[in-house]
Amino acid sequence: MQITLIQGLLLSIAAIIIGVDYWLEAFFIFRPLVVSTITGIILNDVKLGLTTGALTELAFAGLTPAGGTQPPNPVLAGFMSTVIAYTANVDAKAALGLCLPFSFLMQYVILFYYSAFSFFMAKADKAALEANPNAIGKINVITTLIVAVSYGVIVFACTYLAQDAMANLVNSMPEKLIHGLEVAGGILPAIGFGMLLRVMMKAKYIPYFIVGFLMANFIPMSNLLPVALVGFAFAAYDFFNAKQRKYELQEALARTNINTHGGNQDGI
Amino acid sequence: MASKVLTKKDVTMLGIRSSLLQASFNYERMQAGGWLWAQLPALKKIYKQDSSALSSAMVDNLEFINTHPNLVGFLMGLLISLEENHEDRNLIKGLKLALFGPIAGIGDAIFWFTFLPIIAGISCSFASEGLIIGPIIFVASYVAIWILRIVWTHMGYTLGTKSFEILKDNSDIISNSATILGITVIGALIATYVSIELLPVIQVAGGIEVSIQTAFFDTIFPKLLPMAYTLLMFYLLKKKQISPVVLIIATIILAIICSYMNLL
Repeated sequence: MQITLIQGLLLSIAAIIIGVDYWLEAFFIFRPLVVSTITGIILNDVKLGLTTGALTELAFAGLTPAGGTQPPNPVLAGFMSTVIAYTANVDAKAALGLCLPFSFLMQYVILFYYSAFSFFMAKADKAALEANPNAIGKINVITTLIVAVSYGVIVFACTYLAQDAMANLVNSMPEKLIHGLEVAGGILPAIGFGMLLRVMMKAKYIPYFIVGFLMANFIPMSNLLPVALVGFAFAAYDFFNAKQRKYELQEALARTNINTHGGNQDGI
Repeated sequence: MASKVLTKKDVTMLGIRSSLLQASFNYERMQAGGWLWAQLPALKKIYKQDSSALSSAMVDNLEFINTHPNLVGFLMGLLISLEENHEDRNLIKGLKLALFGPIAGIGDAIFWFTFLPIIAGISCSFASEGLIIGPIIFVASYVAIWILRIVWTHMGYTLGTKSFEILKDNSDIISNSATILGITVIGALIATYVSIELLPVIQVAGGIEVSIQTAFFDTIFPKLLPMAYTLLMFYLLKKKQISPVVLIIATIILAIICSYMNLL
């Protein structure tokens, strides 16, 4: 289906607001689930937004900016998965595969700004030496505005201007290729979860991992809340045990200190 | 003894302004520009007549910092209480340097690796059925997290240096518990959201066709393949240090090849 000029402009405005939110990491409306839902509302197909958003969100679960690294851009992924499913009329899974080039593009734009904005720091140093708060405010406003405008322009170009080219490209693809992209869309969350495991997994956590996996595998559930509650129970159990161990350790240390009072404290 | 110049309202405002932390994010100083910007109204109030003291506070706060946006209010509250008491500049600087890393670590463990997978997992299970309640749960949870910024800021401000000890003593226990919760949910997310369905069928004597997927995997161990593929990705990311972008592209190519070979 066609995106109208009004819809294109609305998407662009939404992109400015959402882009700034991602830049600041304030309200988390930049996650694909929310971006796709908003896109679906603008395109008057909320259900499409919800299904594409859910899929894209999970594929991006592990692709986080934790530790200051810039991941593939979740904002563009959210917009484009829904837009591609809408204009080219493909399955949500195939749309997920097709939205990724846009997500990478925006990732590199942001990376460029990370480098470029280093130049503003010399100006900031000068303002600090002169005790000039207004200049600091101005620098922050300018950098944020540059990011905001970039999101607006790029999303308008990718959604409204490029829609016919995009739809033609997708429609000219062989059926096996589209099916392959759908298959990829089903597998891609594995990379997101692999990323999470890379940071979190240690041997001592394997039991909890197995329980979570088996619960979802063999117990029918309409949503994942029960698993989260079981996980919370494990976490609380461990928390209280650790507190207790720490307390006992401190007690033991205190006793040793009394025993060796006045003696050589370096001894074991 | 310096008198208190900041009101409760000023501290609340500082918590709200802590959202500006990344406004001029860059590789040279990371969050320094926004870190200073967020604190400027409070600093101006503390050092109102003394422009050389304001200048040295500004210079110090423009130094490299990279911490967690959702918890930064805590650090801001703590340090602004020291600024207000006109503590030694080196103490303030030292505490900032000592704390921003651990706070980033706790924040990443709690917000990115525990809270996000859980909220996303629950919200997406509604959204994939076409229910708008999914994103509503998601946004509501994060608005609550945002409001907590104000709470952290007040906490840091009131506890002052005491909070340094509390944080140092408990950060490992908290991160560990959060990770347990996160790992449990991720195990379930893999089973729920990664899908690999084999297409091939085996021809048995007498013209009976047996689908490998339904007859074998679905009856014995439904999500064995998704788990195996996720663990393979984990192995390649962790042990072979392959970038996620390479794995994404490789997965797409592999999926297309399998599609042409009628495997998937």
